[in-house]
Amino acid sequence: MKRRTFVKNGVLFSSSILLARPHSAQANPLTAAPVIQVKGESPYEITKRAVLEIGGMGKIISRGDVVMVKPNIGWNRTVEQAACTNPEVLRALIELAFNAGAKKVVIMDNTCHKAEDCYQRSGIEAMAKKLGADVRYCDETRLVAHNFKGEYLSKWPVFKDYLEVDKFINVPILKHHGSAGLTIAMKNLYGILGGNRGKLHRDMGENIAELAGGFPSHLVVVDAYRILLRNGPVGGRLSDVEMRKTVIVSTHIMHADVTAAVLFGKDPREVEFLQAAHAKKMGEIDITKIPVKSLTV
Amino acid sequence: MDSITSKRLQRLRIISQFFFTWLFFFLLLKSGGAAIEHLPQTGFFFYIDPLFLWVNVLSGPFLQVFLLALIPLIMTLVFGRFFCGWVCPFGALNQFFTWLGSRRQRRKIPVSRPSLRLKYLLLIILLVASLFASQLLGWLDPLALLTRSSSAALVPGANFLAQHALQSGAQNQGWVGKIVKPLYDFSRRSLLTVRQRTFLQAAAIGLIFFGLLLLNLYRRRFFCNSLCPLGAVYGFMAKYSLLRLSLNENCTKCGACSNHCTYYGSPFQDYLKSECVLCLNCLNDCPFAAIDVRFQLPRSVKMPALDMGRRQILAAAGCGLAAAALPQIGVNKRTRAHDFIRPPGAVVEKEFLKKCVRCGACLQACPTNAIQPAVFQAGLEGIWTPVLIPVNGYCEYECVRCTRVCPTQALMPLTLEEKKQFKIGTAVINRSTCYTYADGYNCAVCEEHCPVPEKAIRFREVELYNFRGKLKKVKQIYVVPDLCIGCGICENVCPRTDAPAIVVGAEEEQRENFL
Repeated sequence: MKRRTFVKNGVLFSSSILLARPHSAQANPLTAAPVIQVKGESPYEITKRAVLEIGGMGKIISRGDVVMVKPNIGWNRTVEQAACTNPEVLRALIELAFNAGAKKVVIMDNTCHKAEDCYQRSGIEAMAKKLGADVRYCDETRLVAHNFKGEYLSKWPVFKDYLEVDKFINVPILKHHGSAGLTIAMKNLYGILGGNRGKLHRDMGENIAELAGGFPSHLVVVDAYRILLRNGPVGGRLSDVEMRKTVIVSTHIMHADVTAAVLFGKDPREVEFLQAAHAKKMGEIDITKIPVKSLTV
Repeated sequence: MDSITSKRLQRLRIISQFFFTWLFFFLLLKSGGAAIEHLPQTGFFFYIDPLFLWVNVLSGPFLQVFLLALIPLIMTLVFGRFFCGWVCPFGALNQFFTWLGSRRQRRKIPVSRPSLRLKYLLLIILLVASLFASQLLGWLDPLALLTRSSSAALVPGANFLAQHALQSGAQNQGWVGKIVKPLYDFSRRSLLTVRQRTFLQAAAIGLIFFGLLLLNLYRRRFFCNSLCPLGAVYGFMAKYSLLRLSLNENCTKCGACSNHCTYYGSPFQDYLKSECVLCLNCLNDCPFAAIDVRFQLPRSVKMPALDMGRRQILAAAGCGLAAAALPQIGVNKRTRAHDFIRPPGAVVEKEFLKKCVRCGACLQACPTNAIQPAVFQAGLEGIWTPVLIPVNGYCEYECVRCTRVCPTQALMPLTLEEKKQFKIGTAVINRSTCYTYADGYNCAVCEEHCPVPEKAIRFREVELYNFRGKLKKVKQIYVVPDLCIGCGICENVCPRTDAPAIVVGAEEEQRENFL
């Protein structure tokens, strides 16, 4: 290595450390957080493979961590109806988390339908309990005000459980969504909120972006095994569901969402919350600038 | 009868009461929690109730399962009012409260004959009224009363208290917290409801219920002696029953047998077979083992009986006629418009009021707490009939529990597929309050939740001047009335905090098309 390049790289490297603030710096095409996209028959296997490709769960979880795995359990729907996260994807993640030394894995979501029904029908509760995860219902007495420090979204009630954990793994399902266009990882964070969440539908794009900006996800796993193409987010009709047999994994929430949007067949620039996130310099909106590694197992 | 047998019989009676009370609450709680596929037969106590059989015979079509009600009737001809003393769960609760207040009641207050007669007159009033349109039996039927009170007051009340007691215990930092925390976590998962259930008139229903129980401190088994129409049915039959208490030569006429008698009688002077619920307390109170339990043909022994004056019977029948007629001449009977919706499967309103026994089984079965006991929405005779209040809960798309637990098929049993098509009402948008019209910004929470696969709530993008006077593109909400089934989740989730901007009314409800 030439001395000149060494100095140049050194300056670039150190300045990037100095300047980089999470979710604020415009990502450099070369250093943009990578996305892994794995396709295959088994949702369990592709999830395991994708996490391995990103560097393994050990890179994200430290020994003794309390880990929150936050699926979408919003609706009283079965796996086939593709309104809630696939339990097989979660099974892989819970196993990986325990293997990486997690002290406890917590599963919970603030549902839209009656919580008991959603937990049961989605198949998530039974699966997670079998693996020894701590399946919790949202307890309204545990709401605390959290400051997301956004322009649109500042203080909002959040369930304390989400703030008390060491690591947060965001596991949405990729779905059509009437007002937001799509629901992926950033929108999945609505599930940590309490209060009158419907009010956030005004200026929804901005709210979603600021929500994601004010609450870090340490790992994002997008379940696109079955995707709901129409009449989301609640769905129900099997003809609206399509098999894509894919999971998308990244540590960068926006890049995961952009990749998922493209997989869905939508231009990320037409998705309001991605536009808003891009405007807030949270990441790339152009898929060609995101290093996506695709593989099939 | 010797004292050991007496003791055993009494203990057997208490065990039987515990068992049936447990069974009652087990079935009741099961109806709300279980998955639809595994819904147990929760209507057991309703099907063995002769008053419900009567309602079913009057309102038709006849359900064979109500033939079960003949079993206790026939058994009463043999054993007397065993149902009241050994089976009835509300009777058991009354007995329990009588026992609690037994110190207070030891002073002999003879129950006057008129107070025993009252229940027969009430029965006549209710039966006469039920021959016409009004069906008010469920207001006083002990099984309906207990189910309704438990669903709307007792169970949610107990849930509230347990939740708060366990919660404050779990927050304790010391050893108390260590013990209570796992208990709290466990009960949140299994016993308690995640969201506290709330009911219209919960306080009123609860006060009536506890008021009735507390009256036992004043007089033993107050409800059973004076008010219970089912007790009156069994009392009437028991007059002709074979089983009776009889005295042997040991009797010294000391009167100890009336110390705990539920109707303040005593076998030696005023034994009323129609009022005796076979609690067998007297067998134990007798110091000389002078009372025997015997089977004897009713005609063979002359016994005192409760005589019902002809005038009183006529007066009661007159009251029944009034009770039938007065609710029928209110304006609500003429107008087409009504501001309530019924749960899915509800039959035409006129039929519904005849069939519904106001038991409240559907209140407990509804998983989202949408079904509520009506106050005056459905008129005077509609009090405590089930209505759907979407601001409190919505009709879950994937559920038919209420139609399954309804004992008299006032809510027709529907399959899941039928229910998804069953239109209970139509959503209407209030354009002067909906954000997408009034304020000119996006919302669409109702659209998001609409469970109809094709979406009965949709939006179209329009340009309009918003409240700041700026031209904006807004996704405006509209309802497709033909697709809307009136489940009410839109009204339930509307984020407006003054009043929902989308409400479900009875417009186009399917049941009105049957006639």
